[in-house]
Amino acid sequence: MKVLTPRELPELFAALETPGAHMLAGGTDLLVRLRAAEREGRALPQALVRLDGVAVLRGIVREADGSLRLGAAATHAELLAHPLLRQELPELAAALCELGSPPIRNMGTLGGNICTASPAGDSLPPLMALGAEVELASLAGTRRMALSDFITGPGRTSLKPGEVLTAVIAPPARNFQVRHFEKVGRRGALAVAVVSLAALVRLERGRVAEARLAWGSVGPTVWRCPEAEAALMGQRLTLTALGRVGAIVRENVRPIDDIRASADYRRQVAGNLLLRLAVL
Amino acid sequence: MPRLSPPRADALSKATGAERYAFDVLPEGCLHAGAYRPGAALGVAHGRVRGVDASAALAVPGVLRVLTAADVPGPNLHGIMHKDQPVLCGEVIRHAGDPVALLLAETPEALRAGLAAMRADIEPLPGVFDPEAALKRGAPLVHQGRKDGNLLLRAVIEKGKAKAALKAAAVVVRGEFSTPVQEHAFLETQCGVAQMLPDGILHMTLSTQSPFRDRFEIGGALGLDPFKIRIRAPHLGGGFGGKDGATVQCLLGLAALNTGGKPVRMAWDREESILAGFKRHAVRLRCALGAEADGTLTVFDCRMLFDTGAYAHLGGEVMELSMEHASGPYRVPHVRVEGRCVYTNNPIAGAFRGFGVAQASPAFEGLMDELAAKLGLDPLALRRKNALTRGDENCSGVRLTGSTDLCACLDAVAGHPFWTGREDWRKSAPPFTRRGVGLAAVFNGMGYGRGLPDMAIAKVELTEAGEFLVYNAVADMGQGNASAFALLAAQELNQEAASVGLVMPDTERCHPSGSSSAGRSTYTFGNALVRACAALRHKLISRAAMPFLCDTLDGLELEPGRVVHRPTGRAMPLSVLARFLPHDDRICVAEFLMPVAQDISGSARGFMIGFPHLLFAYAAHLARIELDELTGRVRVCDYVCATDGGRVLTRQGFDQQAQGGAAQGIGFALFEDFRLDQGRTLTSDLTRYLIPTALDVPDTVSLAVDGCEDSGPHGLKGVGEVGLNGPAPAIASALRHCAGLRLRQLPFTPERLLKALSKARPAKARRSA
Ligand SMILES: Cc1cc2nc3c(=O)[nH]c(=O)nc-3n(C[C@H](O)[C@H](O)[C@H](O)COP(=O)(O)OP(=O)(O)OC[C@H]3O[C@@H](n4cnc5c(N)ncnc54)[C@H](O)[C@@H]3O)c2cc1C
Repeated sequence: MKVLTPRELPELFAALETPGAHMLAGGTDLLVRLRAAEREGRALPQALVRLDGVAVLRGIVREADGSLRLGAAATHAELLAHPLLRQELPELAAALCELGSPPIRNMGTLGGNICTASPAGDSLPPLMALGAEVELASLAGTRRMALSDFITGPGRTSLKPGEVLTAVIAPPARNFQVRHFEKVGRRGALAVAVVSLAALVRLERGRVAEARLAWGSVGPTVWRCPEAEAALMGQRLTLTALGRVGAIVRENVRPIDDIRASADYRRQVAGNLLLRLAVL
Repeated sequence: MPRLSPPRADALSKATGAERYAFDVLPEGCLHAGAYRPGAALGVAHGRVRGVDASAALAVPGVLRVLTAADVPGPNLHGIMHKDQPVLCGEVIRHAGDPVALLLAETPEALRAGLAAMRADIEPLPGVFDPEAALKRGAPLVHQGRKDGNLLLRAVIEKGKAKAALKAAAVVVRGEFSTPVQEHAFLETQCGVAQMLPDGILHMTLSTQSPFRDRFEIGGALGLDPFKIRIRAPHLGGGFGGKDGATVQCLLGLAALNTGGKPVRMAWDREESILAGFKRHAVRLRCALGAEADGTLTVFDCRMLFDTGAYAHLGGEVMELSMEHASGPYRVPHVRVEGRCVYTNNPIAGAFRGFGVAQASPAFEGLMDELAAKLGLDPLALRRKNALTRGDENCSGVRLTGSTDLCACLDAVAGHPFWTGREDWRKSAPPFTRRGVGLAAVFNGMGYGRGLPDMAIAKVELTEAGEFLVYNAVADMGQGNASAFALLAAQELNQEAASVGLVMPDTERCHPSGSSSAGRSTYTFGNALVRACAALRHKLISRAAMPFLCDTLDGLELEPGRVVHRPTGRAMPLSVLARFLPHDDRICVAEFLMPVAQDISGSARGFMIGFPHLLFAYAAHLARIELDELTGRVRVCDYVCATDGGRVLTRQGFDQQAQGGAAQGIGFALFEDFRLDQGRTLTSDLTRYLIPTALDVPDTVSLAVDGCEDSGPHGLKGVGEVGLNGPAPAIASALRHCAGLRLRQLPFTPERLLKALSKARPAKARRSA
């Protein structure tokens, strides 16, 4: 297997023309998959194209409109070490803090987490709640789309052959007073989320003026619940109100059973987690 | 003045990565062997082998041979007590990890490609996956032609008149408990290297807990002379019982017979380790505990059902220990324990730290908490009132003549601020959180028990250079027994610990000394070693008398690096003295046989060996926890264990055993949920089978009680296992304290806890939480 290390985007695009080439960011998802493929006698890529040498794919930059542009090949640890992330995107910081373990965060990248498109990908609920967009580039040019459109199913994205995810753009969210992320895993680290919830709530005079709720691990992709968001409008964040909305969540959510948890547990907890937003 | 513990003898080499484990051994030109286990991929746990197709595998460049059952010389059966496990299965597979072929390849890549290209035709047979169902008439038989069908062993321990005592008891509490399969999950998976040398000796370096016994396992299965097998056991990267018995041993031996004298390595990957390795037995218990109104225990009655999986392995022996510990470390005059150990088509169960006792402790301690609640007694006081002390008769009717300091353990916990402040802790719970403190009293027998001599033979040498060398014959799985041996020898020989060298177990150079198991390693071999060192010390002093021209031994002493004659102040370096002595004279060998119980008032039927035990380690554990009401997650915030291990040889070694046992026990209690479906392992790797991480285990306070076991080397007892038995009952007790939950099915997963919480608490209370 060949390993190519481009430094600039044009070099990267050229490298991707290599027959049987596959992109390698941190490798924390890909290498696990390749190992399984080898064990089962399935074909392996002929070449791996490393992204970590392409400088423009890293770092955080503020855009003119105040959005933050996060490099797709930035590692989780790099993002967490950046002061802008913790200040301006606390829900994403909270998610990345709990992603994997220190070695995984040192290797794994935001772009890898997104392109893997796991129902349990930890960065996805906060990015969805933030209304993030992705930037995609190829020899044919650059396009931008909402992250919610980019991820089309478990393990599926609208990435075209030869295309690279270059950046994630998170619009400003300073006017949301409640910014929350919680991951429920089976242990404190190295745990796939069983349920997660990212929530952004904007209050006006103590009442909900806008609520964005995004759950991970309860459906094939990040799950939104417009009924619950609507029901929160105009409410104060009391236990009673949140309990009522939690019931709406439990009615609408359609999780599955798997090795980590039953559908019932996920349903129950998906509703319960809202109570954490209560202003006690 | 407390003596500062020297660092472990293996601390530097392990911390720097210099230590060579069996996994690291890769001789020049080494071939690679791998077992083909078709059941998992085919989804068959019980099936008839109609054919094995190796043609595609043999076409893979670098694949040299594919061996099947037909290529196995000898009986093709192994097993420690019952020879019922084939090296390679020729007719049937009895669990999803059974191997039907062994591949030899030039490289690991060729081996993997070859294994992926193997095909087998396996006709599924009806399987049996539930031990209860396995005992029903007409159940599919795991082994044909056995008089007892799927029942491997039924045994009964009886003392007094349990039935009558239950009727007469003022109060009786009952319960059904279950504990799951547990995976050892050692860092170093099962592995080794083997080579047949031209002189006809089969050389093996293995990750094994039982190098001496392995020779007989391999020799027996393959029809080889066991004395023509030489086994070395370097430091293990973990064992916990899972490397007691043949893992790679027989397969590697078979491989080495077919390589034309080349060395061959076998190392299981994690999936294979989980698929084919030995596990902790899943157990179901149904128990009743009776007492007088003041809490004095009168009777314990229990039925246990063990799932040993496809092969007997140590099923009967694990069950024996479980039964012997079933009623807890308490004085109970009337006891009846009945156990059945059953074959199924599940993975093979075997030894695991806390050998059967970890399966019993949640039950006996769960009932103690139940009893305390029923009688309105303080749970710690109830335990203290009934705790075994020296001179008592235990539940098998053994008079405890050895050190029995459970009360001191309980007192250490009773005085701890986490215990005295437990109500404050409960009341200080933040929103959506319950807080609780729980307690458990546990114990663990030491040694093999009656019927199997627990013997070790130690050898110590003064080298020509004037240094000491201990021939350690008991594998060190990481528990630090090798370091303990160096320290015991240094103390006995009055030398610096660092100046004592160690030979690791080698069947050619060391004497047979049993397995690294049963809390016996340091105790039994240590005793033998202390004797050997005392003999060597005496010998060296005597030999020095001649050059010193002394006509008595008075005033001669062994000092670090030399012998001195006190009255004259003359000294002779050991390097000089060594040169006076022929090689044979610089060696001392001594043995030790663990004492056994003599007069037993209880009776036992059904066991082959192992009943009863005489010496026990004791401990009291405390867990301070938080339970999240919204998710059912438990956080163990603080943990305390007070352990009676006799006299402490080194605080570091002692604390590491207590803390490691607690961590593994926390895994057993909260996280480790081995899942099977029709004999297939669903938790097939470490992303699905979760063991605790550093974030899941609190700093554990380890307290030592001041004790001394007179029969132990420098007063010590084995503490390797007792620590694992505490966390499950202590956490269950804390869950009862914080939320009134009564949990009897391990592990206590968030899912089970959330369900239990919603039952325990009316819906109204939730909203006002
Ligand atoms: C032990 C362990 C624990 C883990 N724990 C967690 C966890 O708690 N939460 C969680 O969400 N994930 C977890 N993961 C998964 C993984 O670490 C993350 O998804 C990580 O962010 C993946 O990033 P990567 O750079 O390693 O991706 P890679 O493995 O390099 O790539 C993954 C896939 O995305 C493609 N890709 C990567 N970057 C780009 C790009 N810029 N453009 C186009 N395609 C691209 C690759 O071609 C590949 O197909 C864990 C993984 C391991 C091994």
